[in-house]
Amino acid sequence: MHLPSDNAAFPGVRRAVDDGPNSRDGEPAVTITNLVKRYGSFTAVNDVSLAVQEGEIFGIIGPNGAGKTTTVECISGLRVPDSGSISVYGLSPQRDRDKIKEFVGVQLQESALPPRLKVGEALELFAAFYPNPLDPHEVLESLGMKHIERLAFKNLSGGQKQRLSIALALVGNPRIAILDELTTGLDPEARRDTWALIERMRERGVTVILVTHFMDEAETLCDRIALINHGRIRALDTPEAIAAAAGGNRLRFIPSAPVGDETLYAIDGVQAVERKGRYVTVIGTGDLAASLIHALAAAGVEVSELEARRGSLDDAFIRLTRDTASETSEPEEVQT
Amino acid sequence: MMASMSGARGVHRHRSRAQLAALLKVEAKLSLREPYALGVGVALPAVLLVVFGFISKNVPGNVAGSGLTVIDLYVPTLMVISFIAIAISLPRTIVRDREIGWLRRISTTPVHPARLLAAELILDLVLAAVAIVIIIVGGTVIFGAPLSVGIPFFVLSIALAIAEIFSLGLIVVAVAPNQTAATTVSGVLFFALLFLSGLWVQPVQVGGALREVMWYSPSGAAVRAVLYSVFHATPPVPTLLTLAGYTVLFAFIAVRYFRWE
Repeated sequence: MHLPSDNAAFPGVRRAVDDGPNSRDGEPAVTITNLVKRYGSFTAVNDVSLAVQEGEIFGIIGPNGAGKTTTVECISGLRVPDSGSISVYGLSPQRDRDKIKEFVGVQLQESALPPRLKVGEALELFAAFYPNPLDPHEVLESLGMKHIERLAFKNLSGGQKQRLSIALALVGNPRIAILDELTTGLDPEARRDTWALIERMRERGVTVILVTHFMDEAETLCDRIALINHGRIRALDTPEAIAAAAGGNRLRFIPSAPVGDETLYAIDGVQAVERKGRYVTVIGTGDLAASLIHALAAAGVEVSELEARRGSLDDAFIRLTRDTASETSEPEEVQT
Repeated sequence: MMASMSGARGVHRHRSRAQLAALLKVEAKLSLREPYALGVGVALPAVLLVVFGFISKNVPGNVAGSGLTVIDLYVPTLMVISFIAIAISLPRTIVRDREIGWLRRISTTPVHPARLLAAELILDLVLAAVAIVIIIVGGTVIFGAPLSVGIPFFVLSIALAIAEIFSLGLIVVAVAPNQTAATTVSGVLFFALLFLSGLWVQPVQVGGALREVMWYSPSGAAVRAVLYSVFHATPPVPTLLTLAGYTVLFAFIAVRYFRWE
């Protein structure tokens, strides 16, 4: 089979953008506006709005059942939203689904291949589906899959299956790749390898939408993240900014005299207090250190051995998802 | 403008053909690696042909005053059995492909999973054609059935029989929620259809109400239409109408309830 390979130099070379829809400077690759999707009486996605910029790795994170998969399935046209709108380079996933399918590569959670289909055959088949595919052999080569080309799907390991899944999402030479729970069930080494592959997709100029519930994965790979819980966006920013804003700061110190919890909780931004021996730790947001020192000085207490640690994305994730589980009121949104 | 539009359509047609060709290639390889349809659809009727051919040689003369020998009666039955076996193997692959998410995966590409089904059906038609040739050639050349195929009615009867029985297989694909259910349902259906096609006892041998039931059953009507047409006779109009009615009904149900996910 002869396939056009003029822009098949993968990896390392930016993807040729002479085909597919036109991109204008600054126009997002994907825009979601007020997306709502219900299954019966359950609202899976509740008023989600976000924009994915061309060339970025955009993470959608959240606990199980948060609405992550439903959101990306609406982007790829697999599901029809109940309300709201989605634009993929100006096209609608419903009305223009056939056009969108030509330049959006999808990796589905829990999707298998016929057990006896071989790796090389699957890639050649998918290459034949697309108007301007990459050379399947080059894709196999670059993903380090040459040695498993003749293996049947049923004989692949978990990591090899995920690798094949990425290869199939790539062989159509997409402008946007949607990767859903890519590294779930992989051992640490296979996860690292998979991350390297995603990094290389970005180098080629492919816009990646990555669904995950692993914070380390999101922190390592993503340029920006939407944190979704109960179908709503709780935070939307870079991993660092979310961690800083919602992960809180931890300040550990030794007070010169005992201080009561009520004094500490009265300080602006303090959300939790922990004690261990002579050490006191306050957790909270904002300019915590200044407020703390100021308030304790006013109470005649001096602060020594002050140690500050920034909250991680993990901390932010736990705080933001716990809030909605325990509060019935409208959850706060994190503005950064 | 017109030229460029027809050019674009030409490119589209070309791509569409390339997609189908790629699917056919892959499905053909897979069906050789999982040769279920090949085994029951072609090998089983071929083995049965040998069995009934020898029975016919040992028990010459006509069966139950029909004027036909055993091999004469079984040539159409075996053809229909081949169609039944192929149709019953459809759920094995398609229901599995749906259950494991393969059809859904295909539907995220520019190719609709209907093309995969089309490729599968084309290969099954090839298998049915191979079985027909084996049965006709084997039945006449080896076992001396005095066939004289009337092409127009033969083509009509075979086309209706295949469409009817494949549609029945597709109904199982449509309604079976999973592979286990598909296997159970198609197993029961397989033996019911085999019985009605006359594998164990021919309608002319049973007489009475059961004969009528067999004649107007989905597989029995198909056998009867093919039987007349391989002896250069016009199939009875009620038989053709019954066959056509089943075909339309089954195709309608299969299309109405078909699911890709």
